[in-house]
Amino acid sequence: MLTLLILIPLAGSLVAAWLPRAWAVGFALATWFESLWVLQQFDLHTPGLQLLEYQPWLPQLGLNYSLGVDGLSLPLVLLTSTITLLVLWGAPLSIPPERRQLFNSLVLLATSGVMASLVAQNLLMFLLFYELELIPFYLLIAVWGGQRREYAAMKFLIYTAVSGILILGGFLALGGLSGSLNFDYAQIHPEHLSQRTQLLILTLLLVGFAIKIPLVPFHTWLPDAYVEAPAPVAILLGGVLAKLGTYGLVRFGLGLFPDTWHLISPGLAAVASLTIIFGALAAIAQKDIKRMVAYSSVGHMGYVLLGVAASTPLALVGAVAQMVSHGLVLAFLFYLVGVIEVKVGTRELDVLNGLLNPLRGLPLTSAMLIAGGMASAGIPGLVGFIPEFLIFQGSFSAFPIPTLLAVLGTGLTAVYFVILLNRTCFGKLDNHTSYYPAVTWQEHAPALVLTGLILWFGIQPSWLVSWSESTTAALIAAINL
Amino acid sequence: MDFASLAAQLNAGAILPEVLVTVTLLGVLTIDLVGGRSTSRWTPYLGIAGLLGALGALYYQWGQANPTAFLGEFNADPLSIVFRGLVVIAAAVTIAMSIRYVEQTGTSLGEFIPILLTATLGGMFLSGADELVSLYVALETLSIASYLLTGYMKGDPRSNEAALKYLLIGAASSAVFLYGASLLYGLSGGETRLAAIGAALSTLTPQTASGAVIALVFVAAGIAFKISAVPFHQWTPDVYEGSPTPITAFLSVGSKAAGFALATRVLVVVFPSVLEQWHFLFAALAVLSMVLGNVVALTQTSMKRLLAYSSIGQAGFVILGLVAGTAEGYASMVFYLIVYLFMNLGAFTAVVLFSLRTGTDQISEYAGLYQKDPLLTLGLSLCLLSLGGIPPMAGFFGKLYLFWAGWQAGLYGLVLLGLVTSVVSIYYYVRVVKMMVVKEPQEMSEAVKNYPPVTWSLPGLRALQVGLVVMVLVTSLGGILSNPLFRLANSSITQTPLFQAVPPSIANSRL
Repeated sequence: MLTLLILIPLAGSLVAAWLPRAWAVGFALATWFESLWVLQQFDLHTPGLQLLEYQPWLPQLGLNYSLGVDGLSLPLVLLTSTITLLVLWGAPLSIPPERRQLFNSLVLLATSGVMASLVAQNLLMFLLFYELELIPFYLLIAVWGGQRREYAAMKFLIYTAVSGILILGGFLALGGLSGSLNFDYAQIHPEHLSQRTQLLILTLLLVGFAIKIPLVPFHTWLPDAYVEAPAPVAILLGGVLAKLGTYGLVRFGLGLFPDTWHLISPGLAAVASLTIIFGALAAIAQKDIKRMVAYSSVGHMGYVLLGVAASTPLALVGAVAQMVSHGLVLAFLFYLVGVIEVKVGTRELDVLNGLLNPLRGLPLTSAMLIAGGMASAGIPGLVGFIPEFLIFQGSFSAFPIPTLLAVLGTGLTAVYFVILLNRTCFGKLDNHTSYYPAVTWQEHAPALVLTGLILWFGIQPSWLVSWSESTTAALIAAINL
Repeated sequence: MDFASLAAQLNAGAILPEVLVTVTLLGVLTIDLVGGRSTSRWTPYLGIAGLLGALGALYYQWGQANPTAFLGEFNADPLSIVFRGLVVIAAAVTIAMSIRYVEQTGTSLGEFIPILLTATLGGMFLSGADELVSLYVALETLSIASYLLTGYMKGDPRSNEAALKYLLIGAASSAVFLYGASLLYGLSGGETRLAAIGAALSTLTPQTASGAVIALVFVAAGIAFKISAVPFHQWTPDVYEGSPTPITAFLSVGSKAAGFALATRVLVVVFPSVLEQWHFLFAALAVLSMVLGNVVALTQTSMKRLLAYSSIGQAGFVILGLVAGTAEGYASMVFYLIVYLFMNLGAFTAVVLFSLRTGTDQISEYAGLYQKDPLLTLGLSLCLLSLGGIPPMAGFFGKLYLFWAGWQAGLYGLVLLGLVTSVVSIYYYVRVVKMMVVKEPQEMSEAVKNYPPVTWSLPGLRALQVGLVVMVLVTSLGGILSNPLFRLANSSITQTPLFQAVPPSIANSRL
């Protein structure tokens, strides 16, 4: 039952507020098993929605409790449950014990909201859970963040709230003008509207989701929020929450406006290449490794947008796979940066040095950081390669110049990861000052699991691709009708 | 006219709830007179019981075949039942939160409760009044009792200042309203019943219709004063800040609900012939209230002033439902008022509790409260988030319904403005939540450092606790499980005869 995907973390968030951490991890584990069960029940060859559930909720508003999962949401559901589990497992590293129960509770609440948004099949229900994320994430940043946490959290809150109202405005327009009885996706037929109206609504939705993803020039909240947030929260923000933006773009942009999509896709491709280049250049200029990873995240979301804009079957499959890949790699990098911050006590590129030193450094963490950098730069054999390759191959026919710019962007990605790895991992460790506390196996464990996943999906990408293949093919077929 | 038909036309059963409140009022007054000060240990509970009894009587009145009473002076239709219910609940919760508050300030409960019940009575009659004279009498009953309540803390200069300001501005606005009413009386050729005035106004020629517009402007000014819509809001912050906090709560919910009942009935019944003009007028009020209320609230440092400006902004949202002019619009207005009752009273109960324990209303003094009083922090946070329209609180569904109804009625600009200003409002509500939850122990304020141990055993605190818990529960669950509330709001409109001429929304006609 898909309801359990929402209910288990929700119940967990109520329970975890009072009980020890083991309970929170237990509920996250149960959610993870439930998502595996969904995968097991899911028929990979059916393009449409599966495991449907339907209950009238507030008929006066057109709000129905309508759930379903397809190839677009399935990979993200799996990603969300996996990352939540790892975040709760690895949280003790960066979260002091005093208010950890509240932390666990908020993380589970946020997870419940993301899950519900992913499986909702009613516009208002999506929006309800999309907005539900506001307060848990606000508190997660504001309570456990760094020096400027209150500023960063408020900025995040305002940006996300604006994104929410733009989307709500778009949804009200969709429901009101297309003359549907309720806000179920199946009932929304914008194709009868004039092209101008369609474009207007689509623009509202696009800007709303662009803030969430975020795309340049709506990205200014991201460096503050990602950097000020503690590592586990940064992982959730980048690995899980940002995916709601790209998911919404595909589901409501591409999915609901197949006729109008080709009008805006050249513009989107241009924004995508701009985002990629900007993200990479900004990352090169950073002196703080967490900020560097944050900007690398901006750039990598650009690839997703490029694939979505190109809207060829290959590019869209690549875009969905890139969402998962980005989530795993970003979680991995942020976790390792978190470990370095806790053990070494700084994130400054100019101070860090020689961490690969086998005796007094953090050898295993540094080794994994190198693997993370490689995965992010799209080295073959790791999870980053195949999605990017699919996107480039699929988009080149549609948008050659933006695609070439994006390829240039991957080159720049390699540049800043070389800078990062060169400064932090290599070089000579200062013999007098560096006596770092050892990283325990318990603290290594989440990163090791992520290494395994990144390697596995790098060697065996057909899994990742097969989850979404039939759905994305059907979406593209609807456009090209 | 024989007795039987006279009794039928009087239909005195329609005011059974009001009779119950009156009996309670006299009972409390007499008991206090005979039994002395010591009876105030239990008279408040008698007051609450009387109000709950009135609520029960209202429940049994629902769906009555003949709602008109006293030869058309009073109407007990579903619309008036809902609004009278709102006023009664607001009064009951106000009593629950004021027992300890009034005791602590050393004034007498034996007078406080009868005056509050008088205001309630005024609000109830105002919700059902169907004729100019009874309408004005009810309005004045509510207003004069409110002036008294505002100045009830005789020793506190701010309370005196608030009472004087409220009295002067209130008297002026009620005079303006009366002037409008006198124009209506003249224009309609000596009619006082609202329906007859409406019928007479619709026969006016274009030349004389300007008279109706002038009457509309005067009447609207009186109404806008009661619902504290901008630009008739200037009294609100000072009066809210100076009044005893429970009275602020009553003014912001009970009195405002009565004001909206008056607005709905008068506008729909009397002014259909100048529909465009009153829609324009109230759309302007809505725009000003939403913008000014929400923007000025950003800079407030006192919790009571914050809630005062927030209530101005909230009134703007509610007017949106009124301006929509469809059945859906009125239903969304009723729904939002119900939700607003619970969330705003919940917030005020928490504020009263905080000021009982620390003696201050400054927002900065809430810093770090979560460590000392988790229940208060949770309750106040949930109510404020609901006021800000954050899901899954009831306020989110209320706003969604208002905006959806407004959108369907074609008020695109107003809805967009409402969306934007509700983002502004999130900022200042979350600022308070931040104070309570985010601040580290070392950033704790003086008031919270000296916070007394949390106890509920003092007389009167138990009632306050029950009130707080009920309000917070309804606020947090009333959204997700809001079907009964939706049905209540909808049927209060569809079953009320005066809305028969109103167009249902576009969506409904298609269903």
